[in-house]
Amino acid sequence: MINLNNYQNVSNTWDEMYISDDNLRTQYHKIISYLGRESISDLNKKEELAKRLFMSQGITFTVYDSGEGIEKIFPFDIIPRVITSSEWLFIEKGIKQRLRALNLFLKDVYSNQFIIKDKVIPPALIYSCPHFLREMYQLNVPHDIYIHIAGIDLIRDYDGTFYVLEDNLRTPSGVSYMLENREITKRLFPDLIPQCKVRSVTEYPSILYKNLQALSPRPVSNPTIVLLSPGMYNSAYYEHTTLARLMGVELVEGRDLVIRDQKVFMKTTTGLQQVDVIYRRVDDDYIDPLVFNPNSVLGVAGLMSAYRKGNVAIINAVGNGVADDKAVYSYVPDMIRYYLNEEPLLKNVPTFSLGNPDEKEYVFENMHKMVIKKTNESGGYGMLMGHAASEQEIEAYKKEILKDPRNFIAQPTISLSTAPCYMDGILQPRRVDLRPYALYGPEGISIVPGGLTRVALKEGSLVVNSSQGGGSKDTWVLSS
Amino acid sequence: MLSRVASSLYWLSRYVERSDGILRMLKINYASSQDTIHEFTWDPVIRISSGGDEEEISAMKNDSRAVVEYLLFDRENPNSILNIITLARENARSVQEHIAKDLWQCLNEYYHTVKDPKLLWHVQKGDPITALDILIKQVMLYYGTAESTMERGEIRSFMNIGKYLERSIQSVDILDIKFISISNNPDLLTDTSYWKHLLLSLGGYELYLKSYREGFGAENVLELVMLNHDFPRSAIYSVNNIQRYFERLKSEKNLEHYSSLSFNIGRLNSNITYSSVYSMKEEGLHNYLVKVRSELFGIGNLLNEYYFANS
Repeated sequence: MINLNNYQNVSNTWDEMYISDDNLRTQYHKIISYLGRESISDLNKKEELAKRLFMSQGITFTVYDSGEGIEKIFPFDIIPRVITSSEWLFIEKGIKQRLRALNLFLKDVYSNQFIIKDKVIPPALIYSCPHFLREMYQLNVPHDIYIHIAGIDLIRDYDGTFYVLEDNLRTPSGVSYMLENREITKRLFPDLIPQCKVRSVTEYPSILYKNLQALSPRPVSNPTIVLLSPGMYNSAYYEHTTLARLMGVELVEGRDLVIRDQKVFMKTTTGLQQVDVIYRRVDDDYIDPLVFNPNSVLGVAGLMSAYRKGNVAIINAVGNGVADDKAVYSYVPDMIRYYLNEEPLLKNVPTFSLGNPDEKEYVFENMHKMVIKKTNESGGYGMLMGHAASEQEIEAYKKEILKDPRNFIAQPTISLSTAPCYMDGILQPRRVDLRPYALYGPEGISIVPGGLTRVALKEGSLVVNSSQGGGSKDTWVLSS
Repeated sequence: MLSRVASSLYWLSRYVERSDGILRMLKINYASSQDTIHEFTWDPVIRISSGGDEEEISAMKNDSRAVVEYLLFDRENPNSILNIITLARENARSVQEHIAKDLWQCLNEYYHTVKDPKLLWHVQKGDPITALDILIKQVMLYYGTAESTMERGEIRSFMNIGKYLERSIQSVDILDIKFISISNNPDLLTDTSYWKHLLLSLGGYELYLKSYREGFGAENVLELVMLNHDFPRSAIYSVNNIQRYFERLKSEKNLEHYSSLSFNIGRLNSNITYSSVYSMKEEGLHNYLVKVRSELFGIGNLLNEYYFANS
């Protein structure tokens, strides 16, 4: 039997399950009573079953360091994270609003640049961003949509308020885990999902497919859509194949494509076949060696010219990095006011840009209360967690900052909310975030009810990134 | 279909078929190594399946467990089951969205089975046949799954061409090596168990017994393995299937390449069909087999050039 007595709420932290010591939130009642009927050894068996299912289905990533590939699975916690329908309604609205503004920003920054002329955003900030690509200037993208797929990372502070931690607008990954985690949970807890009235996430691939289809530059009923992957040695390869399979589109690598007359073709057993839509999972830098990184073998020489000519749609658009730059992030609320004339629904975490001398001074005096990040790194790399760093580490980091302050931002340490995880036979609180996936098509924005809940499995850790020892959970959005 | 995908499907299939051949041969040879008063030599088996260097072969050729371990698990042996299945799985991984999910899982489990430490234990300390049986079962599972889940069409055609090309090369190779051993040691010609093992390792023992009532003889074995239409491992059966699945790839878009490769396959088919044991011996068996083998390799090369865009 699961024993809730030793569940230690973390002080000053929002817990997704508990209001106070023995006051469960309603949305967790059914799960907890279900778990209460299972013995510890049964739960341990379920945990093993989950691991075995991931392994036998090949939902793994391979670490190739010692010459021999070692097969690993992403850690999965069997207890779902539950979101109520009213919480979801708010999240959904907030993300849609944010995404509309960010998309308008990209259109603007690559054409008229009103937002700069009206002095809402300093020009230096845009022009110093390495992901602002001049190649995209005055390039018309289909339906003016840049951000077809977005993963917006949300966290909750001690009072339960949702904050946006990061906008991922380039090639956000992890959606296959949203889908697979749900499949695994169905196997682990028979009947529980319908009993709890959990909304389904299975629509994701078909919505994405419909959007991709609608973006084809050639007016044909059955356009050729491909998913461009860096190949099987990429850590997200499993996701690429899953999405290609679920949408029934061709998975290609750069070497499968060629450009003729500014059109994209794929090499097939019966000759060349024209490609209309590319859902690419290759970064901007590697997409076309003639325009960007000349050493790239992952992309296609001449792709940008076909794109500029309007002969192929690229998803997500090239150059989106200027909108999810961590220094530009602090201006997103202003963008929402500027473009939409609305007040932002989802809050930003207060952010200091170290490129600004006053803010830098303030941050330097309060290093212990801050999380400092590089503006262009992701995956939790290059971060300094002030509350846990030694004086020496802080001094070394300051020197690093002074070399190029524009590349750093600081945020006050937010105490992420906790959710119960099954560990060593008991439930223990661990920090979580939430990444819902939004799809922006010609007919509007849809967000599948759910997302990826990442969890910091180490006790006390605030970092949920999988590269830093994080795992994931199934994420339930309840219907009202 | 993408050229790269066609190539991966073809190689995936070749590797699985190769593993099947090696496992069956190993099982029979291991069994016979336990049932002989002479010193059993593994020399031809190692030569057929890995090519291994002379020193290595002589170091272990009388140690049955060591040979089985080498052919199953050795990373340095390019044709060890572990290496072959790793390659098969890598090819399958890169075409996951084209093969049935069941088939991918089947191959994935085959791979994890080879890596299971229990299997190594059976070979080193327990009963090696148990290990071989476990693996053979994985291959059978694979073939059953492929048969019942794969869509009929271009994908399956490329897979089957790979499978039968690999199978015919194996049969021809086994014959060649077995007959070379005879010329070195003519006593084997009348050694019943020598032929019995060859037939068992190809799975043709029962069919042989039904077809030939006069006991074991070299010429009958040759006829069965090259020319018998009902024997699923005979050269003619495999080449017929290569032809059959290749014909399904015919398309208006690449008629020129199709015709040229079709010509080569047809010529090989006729060449075998209109051979007899007598004509093979007249030509010199070794020469004949080498010619068939190089025709088979030629078909592989043309596929590579015309269909896999790897010229």
